[in-house]
Amino acid sequence: MIVKETELPGIGRKFEIEISNKDKVVVIVHDDGRREIYHFDKHDYEESLSSVTLSDTEARQFAAIIGGMIYRPKALETIEMAFDELMIEWYRVESNAFAVGRTIGELDIRQKYEVSVIAIIKGNEKVLNPGPETMIDSGDMLVISGERHGVKRIIKEMFSAEVSSE
Amino acid sequence: MTNHLVLEVGTALIIIALAALLANKINFSIIPFLIICGMIVGPHAPVIGVLDFTFINSNEIITFFGRIGVLFLLFYLGLEFSVGKLVRSGKNIAVGGSIYILINFSLGLIYAYMVGFPLLEVLIIAGIITISSSAIVAKIIVDLRRTANPETELILGIIMFEDIFLAVYLSIISGLVLGDATSVLGVTKSILIAFGYMILFFVIARTCTKHLNRLLNITSNEIFIIVIFASLFFIAGFSETIHVAEAIGALLLGLVFSETQHSERIEKMVIPFRDFFGAIFFFSFGLSIDPFTLGGAVWLALGAVLITIIGNFVAGMIAGRKAGLSHKASSNIGLTIVSRGEFSIIVANIGMAGGLASVLKPFSALYVLILAILGPLLTKESKKIYGVLNSIFKWKKEEKLPLKKKAN
Repeated sequence: MIVKETELPGIGRKFEIEISNKDKVVVIVHDDGRREIYHFDKHDYEESLSSVTLSDTEARQFAAIIGGMIYRPKALETIEMAFDELMIEWYRVESNAFAVGRTIGELDIRQKYEVSVIAIIKGNEKVLNPGPETMIDSGDMLVISGERHGVKRIIKEMFSAEVSSE
Repeated sequence: MTNHLVLEVGTALIIIALAALLANKINFSIIPFLIICGMIVGPHAPVIGVLDFTFINSNEIITFFGRIGVLFLLFYLGLEFSVGKLVRSGKNIAVGGSIYILINFSLGLIYAYMVGFPLLEVLIIAGIITISSSAIVAKIIVDLRRTANPETELILGIIMFEDIFLAVYLSIISGLVLGDATSVLGVTKSILIAFGYMILFFVIARTCTKHLNRLLNITSNEIFIIVIFASLFFIAGFSETIHVAEAIGALLLGLVFSETQHSERIEKMVIPFRDFFGAIFFFSFGLSIDPFTLGGAVWLALGAVLITIIGNFVAGMIAGRKAGLSHKASSNIGLTIVSRGEFSIIVANIGMAGGLASVLKPFSALYVLILAILGPLLTKESKKIYGVLNSIFKWKKEEKLPLKKKAN
């Protein structure tokens, strides 16, 4: 994805995004807060196929939907962010990660990282509040919560492939 | 006779408001409507009951409001401008802007000279012809949903380039027109003063930003606005005393403030004043024109319109092609920047203030009216115009091929 940012003096800023199928999406952020989104077909970057205009509030909500921040599984609905430092992260376990084939208890996640696994999504199956005996497999979607640095550390050390191969 | 000054100004504002509503209804720039309304009323108009449509008693104050409008328009222009933006804008815009100014200013000079005007009038007419209306162009681009088009960057860049040209040009021309222009020495002196004044402001903008930041660090909006407006009016007025147009004083002060941290706060604060007093300016400009004098300037204005359209189109075409745009996108450039409005009138007003040929006024009014209405129409129909021109010049062939290759 190539993003090109240019200034439109007197109007605002323009972000041109070329997506993988060569279509182009252009977002104009007006100085007055409006956003315009244009869709250009890959054959013609001069005449847009369609466009929408959003108000500032609409654009923020729209962004949250696109960014996956609004739709959460029911398990998480009641959880509210209590502290700035407390975060919830979704992460798909990479193959060859250290955690693959080990149970939550074995990894001692809660003690070592002060992070709890809230849910694991294995394919279509949801495991809510998984116990220490739950096995983590490659490709599992983990929902973990904890303080920012702990979450970052555990992802790096346990769930991503890069570190475990060292 | 009792003095109904407030009622008269109120009547004028009602007319302005109605014109603005009408313009909004048919989705058009308000500038031509306000000028026409101003022309319709005036000394030749009737007095109906308590409503005095001659605006003779209130003329002075409406004109004064209009003058304030010019100050705000140019103050805002200065505020919006930043050297950083210009440096970042890149080569295409510098090249395109230079080509545009070069072609159109020269065409304006040649045209006015051929028609037989003396030097100062030639310079004023060339200025009127060169400067596009930022307001109309920005509005039409947003309205036609062309903000994302490839040529839009270049169009707005050229407009920005014109604004710089306007600042330099206005400084020189106001020195020439308002100062002593009878001898070579006087002319040189006027130009030097104008330039020195401008450089002084640039130096202040560069060196005193820190002090200004601290000085303007005022929490209370009430006091902030008083301080800003006090400096605006005082400096604009002072500029006049050394034969630099008050508008230039406002513009330069805007430039100084644009370098401070407070530029956005000032901008936000000024916009409603610019819009309100700006509207009165267009109305008062119309008011100052006797519609019966328009006839004498028709051919002059039509000629200038023709020159402008051709000059803008050619300049846009060259600038666009040089920047690597297609013929179609390039043709859009000229057809968009052709609109004329506020700045042409401001230039004409400086000519009037300097007591130049009186035909300038009806000429600029007609010229701006035609291009403020015709310009947006040309922009809107640019696709059809391109189609017609394409069938004459056969541009499309060479363009279609590389595009198809890409698709495969």
